[in-house]
Amino acid sequence: MDRRTVIKNLALVIGGAALLPSCLHETGKASIALKKINVSADQEKFLADVAETIIPKTTTPGAKDLSLHLFVLKMVDDCFSKNDQDAFMSGLDKLKADAETRFGKSFGEASQAQRESLLNELEKKQAENQKAQGKNAKKPADADDRLTFYGITKGETIYGYTNSKYFMTKEIVYELVPGRYNPDYPAKNFKATLKHGLS
Amino acid sequence: MSANNTYDAIVVGSGISGGWAAKELTEKGLKTLMLERGRNIEHIKDYVNANKAPWEFEHRGGRTQKMIEDHPVLKRDYVLTEVNEDYWVNEKESPYVEEKPFDWFRGYHVGGRSLMWGRQSYRWHDSDFEANLKDGVAVDWPIRYADLAPWYSYVEKFAGISGNRDGVPILPDGDFMPAMDMNIVEKDVSARLKAYYKGNRHMIIGRTANITVPHEGRTNCQYRNKCWLGCPFGAYFSTQSATLPAATKTGNLTLRPWSIVTKVLYDKDTKKAKGVEVLDAETNKTYEYYAKVIFLNASTINTAWILQNSATDIWPDGLGSSSGQLGHNLMDHHLGVGASGIVEGYEDKYTFGRRANGIYIPRYRNLDGDKRDYIRGFGYQGGAGRERWSRDIPELNLGGEFKDALGEPGGWTMGIGGFGETLPYHDNRVYLDKTKKDKWGLPVPVINAVIKDNETKMRIDMANDAKEMLEAAGVKNVNIYNTEAVLGKGIHEMGTARMGRDPKSSVLNGWNQVWDAQNVFVTDGAAMTSAACQNPSLTYMALTARAANHAVEELKKGNI
Repeated sequence: MDRRTVIKNLALVIGGAALLPSCLHETGKASIALKKINVSADQEKFLADVAETIIPKTTTPGAKDLSLHLFVLKMVDDCFSKNDQDAFMSGLDKLKADAETRFGKSFGEASQAQRESLLNELEKKQAENQKAQGKNAKKPADADDRLTFYGITKGETIYGYTNSKYFMTKEIVYELVPGRYNPDYPAKNFKATLKHGLS
Repeated sequence: MSANNTYDAIVVGSGISGGWAAKELTEKGLKTLMLERGRNIEHIKDYVNANKAPWEFEHRGGRTQKMIEDHPVLKRDYVLTEVNEDYWVNEKESPYVEEKPFDWFRGYHVGGRSLMWGRQSYRWHDSDFEANLKDGVAVDWPIRYADLAPWYSYVEKFAGISGNRDGVPILPDGDFMPAMDMNIVEKDVSARLKAYYKGNRHMIIGRTANITVPHEGRTNCQYRNKCWLGCPFGAYFSTQSATLPAATKTGNLTLRPWSIVTKVLYDKDTKKAKGVEVLDAETNKTYEYYAKVIFLNASTINTAWILQNSATDIWPDGLGSSSGQLGHNLMDHHLGVGASGIVEGYEDKYTFGRRANGIYIPRYRNLDGDKRDYIRGFGYQGGAGRERWSRDIPELNLGGEFKDALGEPGGWTMGIGGFGETLPYHDNRVYLDKTKKDKWGLPVPVINAVIKDNETKMRIDMANDAKEMLEAAGVKNVNIYNTEAVLGKGIHEMGTARMGRDPKSSVLNGWNQVWDAQNVFVTDGAAMTSAACQNPSLTYMALTARAANHAVEELKKGNI
């Protein structure tokens, strides 16, 4: 059995999901196998930097540590409609270009503050759209693909984060088999750090 | 007749009522064949997702485009998720026709929907059995609460229903295990409701078929709230956890999966059924099985389908159709209307463990002198919970602080949703489409059922009362939701072969025997003469145990 086959089988054994390591892919392609969307290594890197801006590494792991950008790609590939996938990819490219124009360098090379300011502009636009839609349901939403891209990326990054093994075992208390129900439980024990460490 | 194909009894279907029929008949000594149209699912061994952590699901429980394509009906509701997709019917293999939208959620495997059911278990009240007579609606039930009360006790004791003896007159107490707890917010809301309505409205902990103490070799509930993956502890009632082991233990049971019953074989000389015809779902071969007694427990719509496909040389509309009622009077509970809001305070409180249960507000409308512009009533189910993190932190959209906030508990919310009684309307019906065929070349059912004026009026109360009660209990920012009522969504189909007192106006007699073939019993939802507003499965269990007992007595007497 050659090395590639070994790695492939190992991936199947471990996850079934097969988030295959990048060495199996031709240069320039995304690091995981995708069926519907076509993502380049460059686009993947940009997505990873956006996810990392939303959930940055601090004293605790960030999006890249937890491969949340790969989860976003997996979800977009399997769970979203063709329209959403197209808007996601087109929005990704537009936002990536926006960053390069504005900062004179790639999004990833910009400072955290610069990256946050660009994404916060989208947050603001999204909020305005929602407000306008609330007032007049007939008014069509701003069809800016950047917002679709950012909305999906943020939603899935958070979903991936709050359902990650790290979050569920180290940030909060999650037991697969609680075995009991406490209807009046001190909220401070909700945090894994407090329960297992400080308190 | 081949001896190999001959049994004392045949049970068609292996869900909640079929499991009970098999248990009762085998325990009374009858060699019984239980036929199931789908695959086998073995207890524990085949609950393949039951012990996975949330992060071990490829899409973390989400739904893929492929799942949406494969499940044109299931996708309409919350039930379609990655975690138990395999427990739901393959809709492409088994289509049906919707003349009006009807969400039909099916589980074609051993255990049927007993694996995925909601487990809420409530007795009916005598007034529920009297309602049709009193209101002049449809036909009178041939039985009263007193006929069923001992059988309710009997099935509760075996199934294991946890709950309080709340003493609410409209909701008879049963033989319960210790109840699950309300959380701290629910307790306060319940107390405030009681005070505000001067003891005339009640919010109680749900009565659920999750055992809270070890029972019949089953382990008590571990508060995982993963019931619909199948429980490795056997902590909720299902065919696999409860009735199937009991039936198997007798040595009298033969279980045959992949067996689609296409018709009941009717003998016009004896005016009885002699057996059933089975199409093997894997090999497409046809077999006949024979027995003295046949129980149809294929679920409301499929039981009607089998009868409509049987004895058509004598009755063009099928066995049991002489009354003109077979396939008619289809009911469900109408839902999708309620309210929810936020509960201020309790910031230092949380819950631990995932309680697979909620609260219940029993019916109070059109009772004790209350008179509305509609008849019958509704109950509510719901609960209070604390969100895992607050979604509304202003100006905190991303970044390190935002990340940390995701790990903080959010606010408390409380919501309730109504379950309303649907009346039995003759033109709400199912019938066979002779042109459209399923994967096995069998005619598919056509469903045509809608809510009418009585239900539409009731829904106004269901929405407004929910808001009023939550606000009375101190819940803030209460929002009403009132979605379009599509029948089927309640997953409480009932009524297509109703019980009655007269063969001219009902399909079954007071012992669930088909008037036209008295050794055929129907004890699933098809038998229901009215729907009440309580979850119906416990009543199916009681009707089944009672009918099985009667069947064996009649056999001994030589009457069937």
